Amino acid sequence: MKKRLFVLMVVLLISTLLFAQGAGEKKKDGPIEITFWSLFTGGDGEFFDAMVDAFNASQNEIFMKNDMVKFDNYYVKLTTALAAKNAPDVVVVHQGNLLNYVPSGSLLALDEYVKPGMLADFQTAPLEACRFDGKLYSLPFDVHPIVFYYNKDLMAKAGVTKVPVTAEEFIEAALKIKKATGKWGLAIDNTTGVYKAYTLARLFMSMIAQQGGSLLNADATAPTFNNAYGERALTWLQGLVHDYKVNPPELDYDAAMNVFKLGDAAFYFNGVWATGTLEATPGLNFGASQLPALMGKEAAWAGSHTLAIPVQRTLDPKRIEAAMTFIDWMTSHGEMWAKAGHIPTRKSVALKDEMKALPYRSDYAAGAASALPTPRTPAWEEIYGTLSDMLEYAVTKNQNPKQALAEMEKTVKEIIATY
Amino acid sequence: MKAQSTSKKILFRIIELLFIFAWMLPLIWMAITSLKLEHEVITKTFTFLPKHPTLANYTKAFTSTYILRWLYNSVIVSTLAMVFTLVLDAPIAYAFAKIDFKGRNVLFWAVMGGMMVPFQVLIVPLYLQFNTYGLVNSLAAVYLPRLALPIGIFILKQFYEGIPGELEEAAFIDGAHRFRIFLRIILPLGQSAMATVIILSFINTWNDFLWPLIVVNDTIKYPITVGIANFQGTHGTQYSLIMAGALVASVPQIIFYIFFRKKIIAGIATSGIKG
Amino acid sequence: MIPGNKDTRDGLLFSIPFLTVYLLFMIYPLFHGLYISFFKWDILTKPSFIGLANYKTLFQDATFYSSLWHTIQFVLMTTPTLLVIGFLMALAITGSSPLKSVMENTFFFPYIFSMTVVSTLWAWLMQKDFGLFNQTLTLIGVRPISWLTNEKYAMWSIALTTLWWTSGFNMVLFGAGIKQIPKEVYESASIDGATYWQSVRHITIPLVSSTTILCLILQIIASFNVFGQVYVMTGGGPHGTTRVLVQYIFETGFRYYKMGYSAALSYILFLIILVISVLQYVLLGRKEES
Repeated sequence: MKKRLFVLMVVLLISTLLFAQGAGEKKKDGPIEITFWSLFTGGDGEFFDAMVDAFNASQNEIFMKNDMVKFDNYYVKLTTALAAKNAPDVVVVHQGNLLNYVPSGSLLALDEYVKPGMLADFQTAPLEACRFDGKLYSLPFDVHPIVFYYNKDLMAKAGVTKVPVTAEEFIEAALKIKKATGKWGLAIDNTTGVYKAYTLARLFMSMIAQQGGSLLNADATAPTFNNAYGERALTWLQGLVHDYKVNPPELDYDAAMNVFKLGDAAFYFNGVWATGTLEATPGLNFGASQLPALMGKEAAWAGSHTLAIPVQRTLDPKRIEAAMTFIDWMTSHGEMWAKAGHIPTRKSVALKDEMKALPYRSDYAAGAASALPTPRTPAWEEIYGTLSDMLEYAVTKNQNPKQALAEMEKTVKEIIATY
Repeated sequence: MKAQSTSKKILFRIIELLFIFAWMLPLIWMAITSLKLEHEVITKTFTFLPKHPTLANYTKAFTSTYILRWLYNSVIVSTLAMVFTLVLDAPIAYAFAKIDFKGRNVLFWAVMGGMMVPFQVLIVPLYLQFNTYGLVNSLAAVYLPRLALPIGIFILKQFYEGIPGELEEAAFIDGAHRFRIFLRIILPLGQSAMATVIILSFINTWNDFLWPLIVVNDTIKYPITVGIANFQGTHGTQYSLIMAGALVASVPQIIFYIFFRKKIIAGIATSGIKG
Repeated sequence: MIPGNKDTRDGLLFSIPFLTVYLLFMIYPLFHGLYISFFKWDILTKPSFIGLANYKTLFQDATFYSSLWHTIQFVLMTTPTLLVIGFLMALAITGSSPLKSVMENTFFFPYIFSMTVVSTLWAWLMQKDFGLFNQTLTLIGVRPISWLTNEKYAMWSIALTTLWWTSGFNMVLFGAGIKQIPKEVYESASIDGATYWQSVRHITIPLVSSTTILCLILQIIASFNVFGQVYVMTGGGPHGTTRVLVQYIFETGFRYYKMGYSAALSYILFLIILVISVLQYVLLGRKEES
């Protein structure tokens, strides 16, 4: 009896060894099966999956298999897979992360595979952001800037008739709201929960650009925020929490979202992806607009999801073509993706009725034009994360702004030096 | 011990009951949350028990994910790991305990040193290795790195050392060779220690997260830890869903515990004594 | 011991199955990892040899020291508490209470749950606005505590979670040790007039010292390697004040693509654990024998 059990175990062991690879080895007849790793979670995930299903249903030649990875671990998985040339046929790469993959030749240069006419349909700025040394390494799927949401009911209750634009107007309006309703004026997250309080870094970057400066210099080799611009931005963020007390302290990303959802805060800053969740909240009467010109002209941090084709061990033109067809279909049906709140990147999509019919999106879609490009340096991920931590500290502790900025500048310099 | 007065006894029992309740409270809360709808969770009107208890979260967990498949994957992987760990660990533990061979001590410490290695060091090299062997995205890849379990050797060695030498000598005189002695005498005696090892190996492999995440590509092949993290990642702060998922993911371990409770505790206890 | 001149052959034969797997999946990658630490490598492009540069950078890296410090904080917070609580629990379950079996099962039960389940559960319990702890505090009129979002409390909260999760394991180890002590020892002490706590202090504690040492060594190794529960519960926050060394190792390698540097960091951690374990064994082990 024991011996038989042991033999069974050995058989099981061998069988687990055999069913290795397996993905995408579909045989000739039937549709080509291509694979995709999705990093879209939550509401985004559901909309994306619906689009993939629609793609598969719309034709018989290609079947797209969609596997979701938790966002947090997506790049870990992608990087190890690319290193082993084991990646799927199409991948999502944030525009800001492209620089980590392009120099190593892990992504296919798409210029010769793009269908004619496709390129012209893309909006220029997001498309150019995918070009490196003149070659195109991915196609933009969306642009997602940080935008502004406001609670209409709270504003009405406090008699705030004009939506604030400048930083000073925000303080004024927030104080009014606090006095009249007792609720928070703003809900800018400032501590790490499940996510870091990236909002701080995003607003910081945006406000510096709005004043005419920039976070890093032109070739992203040195920090340029330790100056009057940076100081003004940081002081405003700190003041909201400590001086005017219109922003809750110790607020993390999820809590900030909840505070706005429950109607306890009037003004909220987050990426466009929050629109879907907010729409689904019963009883929330809100408006949306692009990020206001808090400190001068319009400029807003933005990310962009792009679709890229990894380089495989053997180049299979059929699969690449199938992948490209998929990318074409997905980007040209951007109005479905816009349901998640994102701004599509193809001009033809903007003209569609379904697109125009979506509430809120049209209110901030124009913001894509003033979206800030991500600094082009492989150090960006580390700079962004570290600045986030340091800004959290500076805001929470109400650190002396000059000192805070000096420390941040020093740290950023050190980081850049290690790349 | 001196006899205690009745009031003292009652006091102690009350304290003990409080501790027991406090200890179980988190798990009870996990179950309660999983039966609530989201708006009862993120709400300003806090209620301990759900006003409208629902199984909707469980339905969603079962229908929107491969949760049963993930549980199955974990069971297969952990079972194979625990059996093969024993096959690998027992002989060498016996060698360390009972065979006086050259280099034994050095080898023992080299093996024990493995316990101190932080797994992060190994991830990238292991991945590249498995890629060379063509084993990426296979279930085998999930448990192979976990087979060599130094703590298992430690536990078994402790136990074997306690077996009186006379037993082996007697068998030796009767003409048995070492392997037969090992198989027929030592192994049957070491059952409680072996139980501990296979349980530790099972739990270890079952709870593994980062490695399966990297080495398994297809969602359907994920073990439960990765699958459920995916599920949680998809639903951000929908705590009721997350708790439901967590509870479902823990069911096999709970069943395992209920059935093997005595053996588990006895096994850990035995290993500790000689230590 | 079985006498025989085939000891060496037998010894090695018995060791080969384990050693094969060990060499393949532990030793080889371990040395490969060490090799990588002498290079600058972003995993995708060709590695470039830089000798000891990674180690030099490491010793001047403020984040390395802060992460190491956070790890040490965790070790200091959890090690004594886990030992003491485990011991106290063991006393309770080897005593005369009619509830001792219930206690044994209750206190051990959390141990079987996986890190993800435990961490998400406690992150939910400690959630600032809607978690059970703060809801209860508000109900009784106490100001809610920022368990995980205030750097004064964050690490303690994680330590508390770990306590709930793993003290049952120590309880079982200590319980076994206590059960070994013959009843007569306690009886004669009691005749001599010793109180309960005196017996514990002078009989129980010394006689379980070997268990204590084992627990201590295992505990410290595990605590130095802590990563999962911190990462899930606080993400290393607030503003990086709970980032432990293993998280830094993970981020450096897999978020910032500095594989060589990450490998160097993990080797230093390995060395630290090695030195401490050896010291512990030498110092405490020797005391044991005397």
